[in-house]
Amino acid sequence: MSTDPLKKRKTKVIRGDGGTPETKRIRGDADQDVRVYNEEVELEGRDTEQDYILYKSTCEAVAKLMAEIQDLKASGAKEGSMEVEERRRRGSVHFIALKKLNRMAHMRLKKARDQTHEAKQRVDVLHLQLQNLLYEVLHLQKEIGKCLEFRSQHEEIELVSVDEFFQEAPAEISRPHLTKEDPHQLTLARLDWELEQRKRLAEQYKSSLCTKEKILKGIEMKKEYLNSLQPGLQAIMQASLPVQEYLSMPFERVQKQAEVARHLPPPLYVLLVQASAYGQACDTNLSVSISGDVDEAKALSRPPEDSQDDESDSDAEEEQQNTKRRRATVGVQLDDKRKEMLKRHPLSLCIELNCKDGSILHLFFYYLMNLNILTVKVKVSASADLSGAISAGELLNPESLLNCLYASDHGQETPNPANRYQFDKVGIVSFADYVAELGHPYVWVQSLGGLHFSSDSPQVEGPHSSLSASHMESTMKLLRGRLQARLALHKQFSSLEHSIVPVSNECQHLFPAKVVSRLAHWTMMSYEEFLASRCTQVILCLFYWRPLWVSARLQAAVVLNPRYPEITPLFSLSLLWKGERSGRTDDNLRAMESEVNVFRSELQGPRPGLQLLTNQMQRLCVCLDVYLETESQVCDGSEGPREFPREKMCLRTARGPNRLKPFKYNHPQGFFSHR
Amino acid sequence: MGPVELLHMSVFSQTFSPCGRFLAAGNNYGEIAVFSLSAALSPDATGMSQKPILTFAAHEGPVFSLISTDTHLLSAGNGEISAWSWAELTKRSTKALWTRRPNYKTSLEIPEINAMIVNSKDNSLIVGGGDNNIHIMDMETGTFKSVLQGHKDYIHCLSFREREGELLSGGEDGAVRIWDARTGQTVHCIEVFKYELCGGGPALSLWHLRSMSPTSVFSLAGCQREAVFYQDLILTVGEGPYVSHCVPGGTVKAQIPSSSPSLNTLTLNLNSNEHRVMTTAGSSDQIDVFTNFSYRAFSLSF
Repeated sequence: MSTDPLKKRKTKVIRGDGGTPETKRIRGDADQDVRVYNEEVELEGRDTEQDYILYKSTCEAVAKLMAEIQDLKASGAKEGSMEVEERRRRGSVHFIALKKLNRMAHMRLKKARDQTHEAKQRVDVLHLQLQNLLYEVLHLQKEIGKCLEFRSQHEEIELVSVDEFFQEAPAEISRPHLTKEDPHQLTLARLDWELEQRKRLAEQYKSSLCTKEKILKGIEMKKEYLNSLQPGLQAIMQASLPVQEYLSMPFERVQKQAEVARHLPPPLYVLLVQASAYGQACDTNLSVSISGDVDEAKALSRPPEDSQDDESDSDAEEEQQNTKRRRATVGVQLDDKRKEMLKRHPLSLCIELNCKDGSILHLFFYYLMNLNILTVKVKVSASADLSGAISAGELLNPESLLNCLYASDHGQETPNPANRYQFDKVGIVSFADYVAELGHPYVWVQSLGGLHFSSDSPQVEGPHSSLSASHMESTMKLLRGRLQARLALHKQFSSLEHSIVPVSNECQHLFPAKVVSRLAHWTMMSYEEFLASRCTQVILCLFYWRPLWVSARLQAAVVLNPRYPEITPLFSLSLLWKGERSGRTDDNLRAMESEVNVFRSELQGPRPGLQLLTNQMQRLCVCLDVYLETESQVCDGSEGPREFPREKMCLRTARGPNRLKPFKYNHPQGFFSHR
Repeated sequence: MGPVELLHMSVFSQTFSPCGRFLAAGNNYGEIAVFSLSAALSPDATGMSQKPILTFAAHEGPVFSLISTDTHLLSAGNGEISAWSWAELTKRSTKALWTRRPNYKTSLEIPEINAMIVNSKDNSLIVGGGDNNIHIMDMETGTFKSVLQGHKDYIHCLSFREREGELLSGGEDGAVRIWDARTGQTVHCIEVFKYELCGGGPALSLWHLRSMSPTSVFSLAGCQREAVFYQDLILTVGEGPYVSHCVPGGTVKAQIPSSSPSLNTLTLNLNSNEHRVMTTAGSSDQIDVFTNFSYRAFSLSF
């Protein structure tokens, strides 16, 4: 059976070969004749299990046959014997069956594979479709999202609120019947309205720009006109200078001063303003002027950035060029820092006070910029000749002339507490060392410049003109008073040196007509000597003068306060007569001291009280007379003639438990009584 | 009171209040200052408690004499006597109760009153002063009953002898007159006990009154202005910045330095047991307080 299909197969071309045209033709022809054998069809009809069993049995058969053949061959059968050939033939047949089975298996496999492949392909197609669809879905979603997010530009335009819109817009734009229902229409309408309004406003803007341009042009023209006036005015001013001089209304000078005054530092400016105001209003003998270098002042007020840049560049250049130059030593650096700290502003004020007798007090005010204090230097030009008195040398010394104008204002230390910290940085111990050069920083000078330093905190307020104004009058009066007092003292001292006590006519009533004691000697001594002396040194010496001999000598030490005559000079007495007595040991001398020290109101004479010192001295002479003339009465034991004849009239020579003498002089009656 | 006035102040008189807690002092400017002793002596005394609790101007001239009765403070100024109530003064009210003048003959210069004492027996005030006379005033009525004349110069001090009813007065003329029996001696007089103590021009001396003769003379330099008997000592002050303790025998036992260059007045506070101090004052504005009589404890100042 199996051999027949085999043979037929060899001659027939079924599939897969393509065959020659002859075979095709033959096949076509032969189809009608020939039994078509399709192995694939056959394949479907066979059962795989059976094929498998057949395969196994065939293999067994072959194996058996081979074993038989072997047996036969082993048992010595010949080549080509019938049994062997039989078996060989059967074996070949089995091989052929095996081959078929193998083919079947392959074909089955191929078929299964084909089927799987087809299914897979179908699945793939579907899968692709799915993917496409999904992608499209996603895409659509994105698009939808984008559409939903779309913000039209119209929403960025600020529109008026709906109510306002309905109120303001004309009906053809707002179309309320449509827009109230339809938000889209409403928005459109609002946009329309907005557009229209903006167009209108743009028109307005253009027109206002035009008017503005016109006005600017007008202003420009007027400015040019004014500028053209300037030279003309200058000419007029020049021409009017002689007229000003003639009429003594110095506008020009005042203006120039005002011009310079703009560059003054604030405290000096305040001082200038207040002093000028005071001079104009109250005191015609006061004049103010500014001196100093205006350009430097201008340089100071220029903004510092340019100069700093230049400086840094120039420093860099310098360093590169001069690397060989030695750096300044620390001491020199410190010195420079000190000089920098103590720098004065280039402009200064000069105030001149003219007094009635022709002497002039010149005050020069300086401003120390980094320390923010004002200082003053003083100069006196006296009308009279001042060379007479030796003892008066200190009176008009510019260093000490203005000391203690107000109580305890010595002007040796800076009144600004913040300066202490600044000084510590540069190693300045005390400002007093620099006072001679820089001027005295009195507290009243700061007040005149409107600078107020509170002693609690280092904060410094800006200059106040009200502070300056309140001090101005009193300070000017004090300054005048000080100058006059010193000049009067000067005169008195020169007369005292010549042993004359000058008593003015107005004060003669304080003293009796005849005063026997005389001034003998007048010198200066220092304060330390005074403290040490307790009256054993001579500063002034009164003699009781008898033509033939001097028997009693009173020595007095006088302490004068810089604020004379406000503060009474103090006398401390000691008497050399039959032993030494002083105000400490003798009650009567103590009474004499109180007579001179305490009763200032009687002794100061006519205002302004410049006669105080000389009156005190005259009174001292009078008291010495009384003392000596009344002395001889008391218990000496001796009864001899009196040493000093009684020339003064006294009612009683002793009174009270300590038997004081009558030192009080009563004027018109001319007798002495007790206080 | 500026510093110059304080420098030239002299305190002339002092007296203690009847309760012993206050001290009144009078100075040469006519002011009276009342100090609170209890405050100054208390353990927590500050500088302020050494200042007066009250200072007022009492008279025009110096207040040379102050005495204290049971309720009043009597002060003497230029020829006038004023009375102040202690109760009012402690309440800081300075209104004088009365002011009286003895009848003076001269009108040119008003005489001062240097000494006053109270005769408690007949309630009269005896004053002596610059007009060389002693005036006796009745305290109740205020009239001046009588005038004792006799001194040739002004009267420095007065003293009263209780037992005999005699009045002693010492004057600048150097005489001590005992009134009710007139005799004269040639010294200043301060105070009287059984013995009489006289100090002054020449020297401080102790006199026995019965025999009218000096028993001992003390060698103290300077004129003594006030002296008191205390227990068995004699305490005296005068020219010189010290308080002298003397024994009746004539020796000067001790000289305690004080702050004033010379002293005018010395008083002992015998009215109070707890404030038993001695105070002295003179030619300065300080009043020295001696709690233990041997040294100066502190000073009150005007």
